[in-house]
Amino acid sequence: MMSMLLLVIVISELRFDWMEQVLGSFLVSTNATRPESGAIWEIGKQTRTAHQAIEKIVTDRRSSYREAGSATSFKQIAATIQPEEWLLVPPDLFRTLYLELPPEVAQEIIPSFELLELINNRDWERTYFEKDGAGLNVYMLDKENRVLKRLPISPDLLYMMADSDVALGKKLENFPIFEGRIYPADLFFKVLKDLTPEVRDGVIRRPEHLLRLPGNIVRVGISDETTSGYIQIGFEIESGAQQMVILLRGHEWAIWRLHSLLESNQQPYGKNRP
Amino acid sequence: MHKTSNFSTFKYLTGFYYLALTLAGLGACIAVILFFFVLQDLPRVPEPLSRIIETPATEIIAGSGERILVLGGKESIPLDRVSPYFVRAVLATEDHRFWEHHGVDKLRTLKALWITLFEPGKVQGASTITQQLAKNLFFSFKRSYKRKFHELLVALQIESRYSKNDILQAYMNQIPFGVGAHGIENASQTFFGKSASDLGLAEAALLAGLPKSPSRYNPYLHFDRAKARQHIVLERMVAVGAISRVEADAAYQKPLSLQPFSSGARTGSYFIDTVIQQLEDRYGPEIVYHGGLKITTTLDPQMQRWAVDSVKDGMEALDNIIGLQNGRTNNNDDGRERPQAALVAVETNTGAVKALVGGRNYAASEYNRAVQNHRLPGSGFKPFLYYAAFDKLDLHPASVFEDQPVRIPIPGAGAWQPQNFSMKFEGPMILKQAFIHSVNTIAAQLVELTGPEAVTGAAKNFGITSPLAPVYSIALGTSGVSPLEMASSFATFATNGIRHEPFFIRRVEDAEGRILEEHIVRGEKHLDPACVYQVVDMMQGVVDEGTASMVRQKGFKLPAAGKTGTTNQYKDAWFTGFTPTLCASVWVGYDREMGLRDANRVGITGSRGASPIWVDFMMKATAGEPFREFSKPPNIHIESVDSTTGRRASFFTKTPVQVVLKDGQELKTPWQ
Repeated sequence: MMSMLLLVIVISELRFDWMEQVLGSFLVSTNATRPESGAIWEIGKQTRTAHQAIEKIVTDRRSSYREAGSATSFKQIAATIQPEEWLLVPPDLFRTLYLELPPEVAQEIIPSFELLELINNRDWERTYFEKDGAGLNVYMLDKENRVLKRLPISPDLLYMMADSDVALGKKLENFPIFEGRIYPADLFFKVLKDLTPEVRDGVIRRPEHLLRLPGNIVRVGISDETTSGYIQIGFEIESGAQQMVILLRGHEWAIWRLHSLLESNQQPYGKNRP
Repeated sequence: MHKTSNFSTFKYLTGFYYLALTLAGLGACIAVILFFFVLQDLPRVPEPLSRIIETPATEIIAGSGERILVLGGKESIPLDRVSPYFVRAVLATEDHRFWEHHGVDKLRTLKALWITLFEPGKVQGASTITQQLAKNLFFSFKRSYKRKFHELLVALQIESRYSKNDILQAYMNQIPFGVGAHGIENASQTFFGKSASDLGLAEAALLAGLPKSPSRYNPYLHFDRAKARQHIVLERMVAVGAISRVEADAAYQKPLSLQPFSSGARTGSYFIDTVIQQLEDRYGPEIVYHGGLKITTTLDPQMQRWAVDSVKDGMEALDNIIGLQNGRTNNNDDGRERPQAALVAVETNTGAVKALVGGRNYAASEYNRAVQNHRLPGSGFKPFLYYAAFDKLDLHPASVFEDQPVRIPIPGAGAWQPQNFSMKFEGPMILKQAFIHSVNTIAAQLVELTGPEAVTGAAKNFGITSPLAPVYSIALGTSGVSPLEMASSFATFATNGIRHEPFFIRRVEDAEGRILEEHIVRGEKHLDPACVYQVVDMMQGVVDEGTASMVRQKGFKLPAAGKTGTTNQYKDAWFTGFTPTLCASVWVGYDREMGLRDANRVGITGSRGASPIWVDFMMKATAGEPFREFSKPPNIHIESVDSTTGRRASFFTKTPVQVVLKDGQELKTPWQ
């Protein structure tokens, strides 16, 4: 009886492959619980990892582009780009940023007539920015990425471009560069008023930066460090409970003239103040 | 007595029967335990099967837009787009009972087991197509019983879950055929340049035979073996009734037109290897092989084909000169090594590498001599020396030096006494003549005056990137450089000293077309254009009347400049030359640094070994280009001088030579 049963089992298995089918169906039912292992899953994982890495590169670049698109200065562009990275933008952005610069700084980057010529010959398709240490390299490119013009922007030039910096919640004493060279605002403006218009323009090149801010100027600090012919001046502003310092750059020759007059009129605040 | 004996036999048989039954039951229990044990690390099967077979491909594209290589990706095509011949050939060869079994061919397995157990030394395979698919998708190729059991279980699951058509389609879309081709569509394109649906019987039978051992049956390397395997496939098809004997015989006789390996899927293989290496360095292998990138390269496929042909023809001609039979292998029939070659062509005003050949046959040797091989350039280095002399010492092409024995003392190392190639001394001559005729003694005098550092500095400014030893012999090219460096640094001469980094990759995009990188063509100017032009003029002299005059003899008419180079014992033969638009460097020599000598033991120079390849390539690559002179810088003028005195030529000067002088460089008149 048992032998017959065994024989039937063997023959029916050979004929109908039921054992394979039962096992196969069981395995299908447990499929979801089993590990994603083996060559093809590894490739799948590598593909996912590769896509994530690419996505990160693209996302980082896109965020750089977004920041660059809203940049209002070359200094901001330089801050956007990480070392070994680059930024490719339309020529318009360069033109916009260029027009925002004080004329004397803009001329140092590229004379305006030369820029006009570049715009007019229509080969300039894109602008490529890359970090060069603390500076910036700007390449004007044609359709085939050939460099039409290379404009190196040194760290000093970048520094000069940033006409003003605002430090909220700060006092002049927070800036060591002004130590021993802090003066009351009324004295500063009294002395300023006595200077010739050229010297005045040399001291405060962009007065609109001061006009834009709310509140009153209470004290003024003058740095004794010169960078590329410019000296930093700090204006301490009080606006209600808020305190801030706005940093501007003035021409070295004008600042020295102003400073000598300030010194002869009154002892400064700061270190020597009683 | 007899009855008792029968009874005891029956007893024994019954006992044996129950023992067998117990053992079978025990075996079944063990099998069940084993099954659940193995089940723990049995891989999950993806749904649908094609989901992970389809991985995005990284495409490498030529400068012309032509797709030259697909990396890593697998493209799944439906079964109805595969030639029925191939389907029948695969089934006949791999698994003729495919439509009948449920993942395991029990009869074939029992037969294989019998052979494996009772016929020592013989191993019979019994894997069905489903088992092979399971193996290829999930398992390593390491042989073990556990792996076989895993494979069997996955095959059973696949059979239960998917239709036979799905299984066959998945199988055909992932089988490896060798030479980087995975899946039937890819293989069909690679080997025959056609779609899988267009394969004829002969082609289908050849391809169906390859997966058994893709390297052993590689038709590019072992055509006879591939053909023999095709015969086996056709015989199997006849045996299972898939085709008739007449069809099989006709298919076997039918000539196969394989896509040329070097100009098919792997056009410019050495070039592509360089591109892949650069990409792997920048992004890592995972992104390169699985990221689905689109890489636009600088390769000019037509120029690349010409470069491959020129190297092939030139080396065959050289084999004849040397006394070797022609062939595609690394060694001659008598075991002698064949010389190798490399060629690099660079666009002068951008640095774009347009063609690159790293050896005479990629299939025989993948070592990239154009990039990885740093060989001595010999006199090919002299342009940098002359530039340094003109720039640093204000010498000019009409300055007179004496070709005479030279002895330069080197502290701690005796003295350096370079010899001329001709072993003769010609007396006084102007530098232009010394350069054109590659006079070593005058080169030695110049390096003694400039100092070796000035020469290595100049070479680096031109684009040589290999480390250079600042020794006097650098004047005669005793530091190794690659053909790529030679081509890119000589291209700097063509642009009057504006150096462009050589580059292979124009743009890298992801699968959605978002740009990951773009090459910016920027030129760097560290050299004096007037001095550069003075050297270019002398290099034109080399081509027109000097050591590379065979360029003109062979009919190359466009303005061209260059320099030959041959090293000691003829171990290296070079010619690097350029037109205003294209620069090419050719190196010829043995990998093992033996001397290149013809059948009469006469040494083979750069002029004889490398220049013919250069001419052949440049004639094709510049065909149709307009006649264009090298651009002259503004502060130069041209004078005619006496070749031995360097004085301004007069009516009586026998051999006047035209030289380029910078404004302010004055000549003596004949009577001064």
